[in-house]
Amino acid sequence: MSTTLHTITALVHNESGTLNRLASLFRRRMFSLASLNAGDCEQEGFSRVTMVVEGDNNVLRQCVRQLDKLVDVVEVEDLPQSASVQRELAFFEISATPESRRQVLDIADAMRCEVVHLEPESITLQVSAEPTRIDHINTLLSPFGVKQLVRSGLVAIRVKN
Amino acid sequence: MNRSGAKIVMEALSRHGIDTFFGYPGGVVLPLYDEILNWPEIRHILVRHEQCAAHMAEGYARATGKVGVCLATSGPGATNLVTGIATAMMDSIPMVCLTGNVNSWAIGTDAFQETDIQGITIPITKHNYLVKNVADLPYILEEAFYLANTGRKGPVLVDIPKDVFIAKTENPFPDTIVRRGYTPSAPLNPTSFERAAKLLAESKQPIVIAGAGVIWSNTSSALQELAEKCDLPVISTLLGLGNIPREDPRSLGMMGMHGEVTGTLAVQDADLVIGIGMRWDDRLTGKVAGFAPAAKIIHFDIDTSEFSKIVETEVVIPGDLAESLPEFVKSVAPKTNPEWWKKIRVIQESNPIVVPDSPKFLARHVLDELNRSTGSDAFISTDVGQHQMWTAQQYKFKRPYQWLSSGGLGTMGFGFPAAMGAAFANPGSEVWAVVGDGGFQMTLQELQTAVENQLDVKICLINNGFLGMVRQWQELFYENRYSHVSMGSPDFGKLADAYGATFFRCSSRADLAETFEQARKAKGPVLCEFIVEMEENVFPMVPAGAANDDVISDPDLPKKQEVHA
Repeated sequence: MSTTLHTITALVHNESGTLNRLASLFRRRMFSLASLNAGDCEQEGFSRVTMVVEGDNNVLRQCVRQLDKLVDVVEVEDLPQSASVQRELAFFEISATPESRRQVLDIADAMRCEVVHLEPESITLQVSAEPTRIDHINTLLSPFGVKQLVRSGLVAIRVKN
Repeated sequence: MNRSGAKIVMEALSRHGIDTFFGYPGGVVLPLYDEILNWPEIRHILVRHEQCAAHMAEGYARATGKVGVCLATSGPGATNLVTGIATAMMDSIPMVCLTGNVNSWAIGTDAFQETDIQGITIPITKHNYLVKNVADLPYILEEAFYLANTGRKGPVLVDIPKDVFIAKTENPFPDTIVRRGYTPSAPLNPTSFERAAKLLAESKQPIVIAGAGVIWSNTSSALQELAEKCDLPVISTLLGLGNIPREDPRSLGMMGMHGEVTGTLAVQDADLVIGIGMRWDDRLTGKVAGFAPAAKIIHFDIDTSEFSKIVETEVVIPGDLAESLPEFVKSVAPKTNPEWWKKIRVIQESNPIVVPDSPKFLARHVLDELNRSTGSDAFISTDVGQHQMWTAQQYKFKRPYQWLSSGGLGTMGFGFPAAMGAAFANPGSEVWAVVGDGGFQMTLQELQTAVENQLDVKICLINNGFLGMVRQWQELFYENRYSHVSMGSPDFGKLADAYGATFFRCSSRADLAETFEQARKAKGPVLCEFIVEMEENVFPMVPAGAANDDVISDPDLPKKQEVHA
């Protein structure tokens, strides 16, 4: 069976130990966790978590069921691409001398990155995009020297039923 | 009413009908131990090691169906509970574990006897709590009991800082617990019943594998009704023993790695396997790819994460067996399977569980006599290993909650304290711990606890001078290279004497009946040491990783026959 990345979202009680329990579950059952992002949501006392999990359908099924079994988890869903919007935030700090700065800014402009900070020897860019697009931007910028890359991990929202 | 956290803990025990709990004091639980003195109706048993407080609480739960409670102080007290908690988690035992912790303002400072027991026990509890505010304590304790004892049961730990025991609140206990996202059991699905009933009606060679879920849901009678109505052979899992009386003609006993050949091979021939309240453990299935190759599978379980976790399933029936099993019995048409039973009886007749009539003094002789002399009616606990398998094979369990064994975790040292928990919960009943010389030496300090309480608990110590099961594997799979399995022991007679327990030693088959007779008459804790043949092996055996078809029969079988139906 083919191994692919799946986006799982969960609504969880925001209590002591919740994140620990989620992370512990992935570690101990050897589910491969590519990213995990947690934050406040529209309901007080609860958080929404987006997890990217790598595995075949059996792994995914077990992962969803084991998550659902946690007392902290209210609901959990394997979110299909087609019914959701999925984004990741990334910051790039790129080496940019006065000579190369124009080229970096052209790429940033073309790829819809925002300049959030400027130093004499570097430019810091911000972009919100799908992870594959961030990968691509990274490829485009790497000849200039990527001094730092910081990625938030995926967040996703269901937009269609 | 404004009352302290310590008082709230005792109120919670009282609300849940806990008459006995097991613990060990220490610095941070001093306020609670002071409060305990005000509650003479709730008995606290002072153990000699916190691990045994957990095992006794488990024993209490396993022998009654009620929630077991244990208590330990922070740091080493809490970490000593860990083996017991993991044992309870693997076997889905309802337990509430209370630990003290350092004052809340000191948490995270590496204070004296501080440990992160919440973090440590996350993977081995159903849920756990660190109580930060006394105002939350009534709700948390109520929820802890609720979670431990609903759905798929399990241990819940509540870690309480010292200042929370002392602080006061007027907050009452909640009348009901509603935990968003926690559904103890799924609603019944009528379509799956129809499909399952159809599969059963069409099957020619159906078989049931029933687990401990039947015990914990109190559905033993529904299981027997189903077996009778549809003429079904019933295998019990290791932890399911007692879910159908072993002497019921439709019971085939245990199957799997050391189960009876009958059940193990019948499943290989079955065209329908109905798993009820069980989880397809690897000791039962053998190599999964070779398990029940001709069978469709129906799986009843309260925990939907067990569906298709190990074996692919045709029909799943989620929900509480207390609801689903009687409903299923109603929905199925009566049937008989005479041809199937003929095949099964052929396997059975050529593969009985053997108690050889040997001049040697065998562990199997002892367990045979244990079964005979107690009329198959005692509470029986075990450690893990050869003696556990022989007991599971030979004892003819009659009823649920009679059998206490560490199945999932396989915990040495479990048997004696678990038997004590059962004895505390069932005064006047006969309770036997069957233990080996290895396991007993892990928790024998509880002899003091047993003597102090003049507890009627009897220990059947099978002393073969080896860690028998490990030795057996070294003999069979490591070319007889015995590595660190030879076990020295103290003089158990002197040991029993030092503790003040009654002692019997038996070294020959001729003295067996007399030893049991005297041991059964004696009051208080009794240690019976049986010095048996050193290198006896457990058969049948499915080697680890092999398919169940490759079961090795007992070489002591009176005659060899073609065993496959």
